[in-house]
Amino acid sequence: MTKRQTRLFFLGSTLFFALIFIGLTIDSHRQISALTHSDQMTADVIAGKRVWHEKNCTNCHTLLGEGAYYAPDLTKIAEQRGAAYLSQFLKNPAAFYSEAKDRRLMPNLNLGDEQIRHLIAFLSWVSRIDTNGWPPRPLLVSGAFPGSSPAHAQQAAASSDPVALGEALFRKSPPACAACHSTAEGVQLVGPSLAGIAARAQQRLGDPEYRGHAKTAEEYVRESIVAPSMFLVAGPTFSAGGRSFMPDNFGHSLQASEIDHLVAYLMTLK
Amino acid sequence: MRFKSQRVAYYYFVVALLLYGLQVVFGLLSAAKYLGPDPLLHLLPFDKTKEIHTNILIVWVLTGFMGAAYYVVPEESRTEIYSEKLAYGQLIAWTLMGLTTVTGYVFGWTAGNKLLEQPLPMKVVIVLVMLAFLFNIGMTIRKAGRWTTTEAVLVAGLVLSALLYLPALIDFENYTVGIFYRWWTVHLWVEGVWELIQGGLLAFLLIRLSGADREVMEKWLYVIVGLTFIAGILGTAHHYYWIGVPHYWAMFGGTFSALEPLSFFGMAVYAYSALRRSGLSHPNRLALHWTIGSAVYSALGAGILGLAHTWPAVNKWTHGTLITAMHGHMAFFGAYVMIVLAMITYAMPALTGRDEEQSSAVGMWAFWLQVAGMFGMTMAFATAGIVQTYLEHILGIGYLDTQHKLSVHFVMLMGTGSLFAVGVLLFLVDFFFLAVKPRVHGDSRAGSGAAWTPSSAAQASK
Repeated sequence: MTKRQTRLFFLGSTLFFALIFIGLTIDSHRQISALTHSDQMTADVIAGKRVWHEKNCTNCHTLLGEGAYYAPDLTKIAEQRGAAYLSQFLKNPAAFYSEAKDRRLMPNLNLGDEQIRHLIAFLSWVSRIDTNGWPPRPLLVSGAFPGSSPAHAQQAAASSDPVALGEALFRKSPPACAACHSTAEGVQLVGPSLAGIAARAQQRLGDPEYRGHAKTAEEYVRESIVAPSMFLVAGPTFSAGGRSFMPDNFGHSLQASEIDHLVAYLMTLK
Repeated sequence: MRFKSQRVAYYYFVVALLLYGLQVVFGLLSAAKYLGPDPLLHLLPFDKTKEIHTNILIVWVLTGFMGAAYYVVPEESRTEIYSEKLAYGQLIAWTLMGLTTVTGYVFGWTAGNKLLEQPLPMKVVIVLVMLAFLFNIGMTIRKAGRWTTTEAVLVAGLVLSALLYLPALIDFENYTVGIFYRWWTVHLWVEGVWELIQGGLLAFLLIRLSGADREVMEKWLYVIVGLTFIAGILGTAHHYYWIGVPHYWAMFGGTFSALEPLSFFGMAVYAYSALRRSGLSHPNRLALHWTIGSAVYSALGAGILGLAHTWPAVNKWTHGTLITAMHGHMAFFGAYVMIVLAMITYAMPALTGRDEEQSSAVGMWAFWLQVAGMFGMTMAFATAGIVQTYLEHILGIGYLDTQHKLSVHFVMLMGTGSLFAVGVLLFLVDFFFLAVKPRVHGDSRAGSGAAWTPSSAAQASK
């Protein structure tokens, strides 16, 4: 090989692969709108993206797995936590996590109510982006998601036992119940532990604080999924102003049969 | 130093090395925060120290590249720099830009886009300074009417770096589109056009340190940079697996980024075969160490450690973990930090009039401590990243609980990082205090690297 030939190799291959790259880029532009649901990019979403950049969020957190590795990934956080919790959290992170226990803490960014609303709109838009199946299993801020492997879910689906189906759904994301609720005694994640919920539901029916319409424990559990504010568990990180931080849209986002399965599973937690 | 105006390189190296020291300080601060708790939480939280750490890296490595170009281009084109004044003015503007940007970060003035955090006015200054630099280099070559392949590859890398920075000036409304073009700058810099710069500097150093035949070296240089682009351009796709773009990118990314190590191995073989000719007989042993070190460490850090998590099936689990920090640290250090330090140690005797053969013990310690420290840091990130991948991404244990279990690796990171910092400190001591001051033109006390040939070395040893 002469120098002339190797130069030709360099220039030719560079040009060739650059052209392929540009061709794929043009094709990607045709598809990105559908993959990212860009029609749902409202003014709030775009304003929220600006807050995300201005507050330098990406230099602690990852989003779509990109950023810094000092704080949890936020790709699905809007789906896992819901707007009520997140807006309360963003007002004062120190009320929810302790530096003594976790060794790190998110500083208070002094965000205004508008900024918080925009940021949450942006994060919910991100949570709906088609990420080609990433993360392969839910990423949690704290606690654990035991037995949520795809194999586990398949096994449950094959069994057609409502309790098994309910448990599999409980550990799936969405609805990501297990991201906030532990089923172990005394282990409090974001929401109250659900250990013994079936027995507790019975007592709640007679609680003077209870505002719902359930007559049986099973009805209580069902109601707590679709209308979480009917009974408020005491604690500043669970509710504010008479409203639970738990998302109140499961009545729409889950099918009736799915709720049946969840109730069947939760009723086994005696 | 054959041309008087090459001395501007010295001042570029001064700025580059001071920033290098500052970068390491912010790196140690960030590492300490991983261990926590953080007494500076409200004053200088992690996002700021990390942002300053990575941005100073980019600025000082580019400063080093520009200094190296001002040293290499006159020598290759055999002429004085077109405008020495412009070169100094450009350095001053560049340094002020760097300091303003970093100060701005402390007070929260940021574009908050990973590695491209520079606020828009600062980005415009960067583009203007780059243009002034490229104009000066271009006019120098034009004035001489003569250029070599080595400098052409180097300059092509610098021109393309400026060009690929342009997408960073646009604010995309769609976050996914923003990420897509962010990688045009970041990936195509470090796994594309910067490798041209590394390759050009490596060829320049090897020709002089080993006395290898220029025709042969430059012929293979084309092959190496050809391989870089064959793999590197479509290799960009390894950042496109999970961000909301068409799924076919995974196939392209997996295939072509797996080829990326080829050009780095090419460089290692290139260095090895060149040095086999003359052995290690060049008197500037320090420059030899940094040159070979760069070729070997970039093959390891950028080549092998990059390959380790580039397949979509693996990356699915490792994406978003400290595995990326493992690869990033050794790749950047091996490919770009070491090649700049190689240029600095090579040019130092000529720039300062220090005796080439005066092998500096401090310089050697600086080399080995940095190499060992970086190896340790890479291992600390690797073990932390593997444990994090397994516990958090595979077993499904929460982020905070997982981080708690990584403490021992963060202690290791602090320890090896401190070792590395001592190495950097010794390099600075060697450069600033043990070397003679910048040499006046006409002083020919010490021989320059270019004057040395293997045959003269053979004669001397007889």
